[in-house]
Amino acid sequence: MKFVLIPVLVVVAALRIWTRRRRRQTSPRSPRPWLTSIKSAVGLVAVREMRERLRGRIFKVGTVFILVVVAAAIIIPVLHNNSRQPPQKIGVVGNLPVSFRTTVESSAKGVGDTLQFVAEPSVKHAKVDLRSGRIDIAIINGLQLVIGHPLSATNSSVDAQLVLALAKNVGFARAVQAAHLSTSQSETLAAAKALPVTSIESGRKRAVDSTSLIGVILIFVMLSQYNTWILIGVMEEKSSRVIEVLLSAVRPIQLLTGKVMGIGLVALAQASLIVAFALALSRAVGSNLTHGTAPLVLVSTLVWLVLGYAFYSWVYAAAGSMAERQDQVQSLALPLSLPMIFGYVMALTQVSSGYPTTLLKILAYLPPTAPFAMPVLVGFGAATWWEFLSSVLISVACTVGVARVAATVYRRSILRTGGRVRVREVFSDAWR
Amino acid sequence: MANVLHLEGLSRRFGALTALEDLTFDVPSGQVVGFLGPNGAGKTTTMRAIFGLTDLDAGVVWWNGGVVGQSERRRFGYMPEERGLYPGMLVGEQLTYLGRLHGMSANAAAAAAAAWLERLGIADRAKSKVEALSHGNQQRVQMAAALLHDPELLVLDEPLAGLDPSGIDVIGEVLATQARAGCCVIFSSHQLDQVENLCESVVIIDQGRLVVTGRVDKLATSGPRRLVVRVEGDRSGSWASGIAGVTISEVKGGVVRLVLDDDVDSDSLLALARGAGRITEFVFERRRLSEVFREAVG
Repeated sequence: MKFVLIPVLVVVAALRIWTRRRRRQTSPRSPRPWLTSIKSAVGLVAVREMRERLRGRIFKVGTVFILVVVAAAIIIPVLHNNSRQPPQKIGVVGNLPVSFRTTVESSAKGVGDTLQFVAEPSVKHAKVDLRSGRIDIAIINGLQLVIGHPLSATNSSVDAQLVLALAKNVGFARAVQAAHLSTSQSETLAAAKALPVTSIESGRKRAVDSTSLIGVILIFVMLSQYNTWILIGVMEEKSSRVIEVLLSAVRPIQLLTGKVMGIGLVALAQASLIVAFALALSRAVGSNLTHGTAPLVLVSTLVWLVLGYAFYSWVYAAAGSMAERQDQVQSLALPLSLPMIFGYVMALTQVSSGYPTTLLKILAYLPPTAPFAMPVLVGFGAATWWEFLSSVLISVACTVGVARVAATVYRRSILRTGGRVRVREVFSDAWR
Repeated sequence: MANVLHLEGLSRRFGALTALEDLTFDVPSGQVVGFLGPNGAGKTTTMRAIFGLTDLDAGVVWWNGGVVGQSERRRFGYMPEERGLYPGMLVGEQLTYLGRLHGMSANAAAAAAAAWLERLGIADRAKSKVEALSHGNQQRVQMAAALLHDPELLVLDEPLAGLDPSGIDVIGEVLATQARAGCCVIFSSHQLDQVENLCESVVIIDQGRLVVTGRVDKLATSGPRRLVVRVEGDRSGSWASGIAGVTISEVKGGVVRLVLDDDVDSDSLLALARGAGRITEFVFERRRLSEVFREAVG
């Protein structure tokens, strides 16, 4: 948990110190009414945004849909793991010594399967039963295995593993019998264990794959949804001309900050609800989402959802202020979403590959892709707390810079109507 | 101390276009001031400059001797030319929200919203969405948004556009009441007859420059005398043609409007008119605002 707690505490403390010092430097005798007015304006705008979004049908339906998907992602694997396979039916033609039967049973146990012996009067009868599915495997006089369909090289099912284990172990048992070994020698050979194999990477990574996957998808879906809200919300205020009424009472930066905060709080509330729901459901059904580093990955996902939203929301708000119609918004949204899509795809690829590459480690330090890459690195156990902190600090610093530029673009674009505003125009002298 | 808005030397260029050029005038309290000018004269830019909605190349907007800032603007009321409200928001909630942005408490804003909706005749639409209202009723809601925080200065860009006669009467009465209560009121309009009825003073600008300002009474009585004559049987006003010092400004429906030089004797004109036929109308007329306007902006 130190991965997340230490960086968050450091960033919060640094921000508080920075804002206090800045306030002292810029306005040593800042009057309270002015500050109160700014806070209240931002708060009012934020509350309106939250109220309108929470009332919306899209939010309600979207939240229920995501919860259903998360529930399915948690419950289905558990049900799959818990579902008992029916016992494998082994047809026995001819004599099968007791020692061989023991070998067959232990082989089935070794691959997590159970079995049931079925006496077959003849090979022909056994083949008929194989075709009809009444038995799964036939052992002919302890000398040969017969199955319905040939095994492919890539088949890794339990059934295939059982066939291979039977072939190997029964063959071995026959060899031991043929060698006329003493009982102790036979037992020694039977008790032989494979050499232990260890890997230099953490053995936990397989356990957190599903958590990282859920986290990355959650971040992508929520960043896409809420940043689109910002984009369309700003555009609608401009196109409905209500912006002029609003800006006669509040500053552009207050309006923008209130909107970003309001929608951001709705996003955080929804994400927290989903994570809490996921953790509670996992604990209830015994999913591995509450084991190992999975809770850490989920908390890291929440942190990076906040940081990712903070970074992208300003960019989307600035873009929204330059558009006046739906088609203009769509043409702006695509290039803005490209870094997100890139980070998302790369993170998904890494999760499925099972190993963090150098590219993923680089992406984890770039603010546009870090919200996707860093939680995956945490899931792999491939990020130390100070690496996590470094990435957080880089993201916060870049967000401050992006917010300043976005506020300028917003202020210069939001009142200009009659067509889409070009970036070149925003920064030209003519439109100060 | 009476409130006063003072615009001093406002200048603004958009590329090659001059929107405002050294524009200076006052808006005193207790009066309704009409802000007139042809399309593109700079009226909307001026109004937006008061609220800091457009940057100025030069000039300052003063309020009671101090430069206008954000805290002053929160005490102003504004109705922009392009009406703007949240289409999907309830009327009552929207007005309460806008009132709170102007510094009102939630209760005070809600009460003021209800009171203004009542006064403007749309109390029953408080729980309707704005988008469900007619154009005229949306305009009334917009008016309420400008008024509900009891502003010290009211700036209205074309508040009468699109209103039916009863709507114009209601808005006119509201503006007069606000002015009598000490509010500075300035509004723009192209309906000059309405402006003449509603306003004590007017400011006329053209190409971003001030061309005329003053009280409507004085502007109406200033300049050359205007005489209206109707002579039976002479619908073209031919009797007045060619008289030295007399200019025919309009002939309409048998009524002749004449502009007299200072040295023209009205008795001799009366005699000339009698000679043309029976006189049914012979009266000196105040200058109408539309004439003042046309003379001012060409």
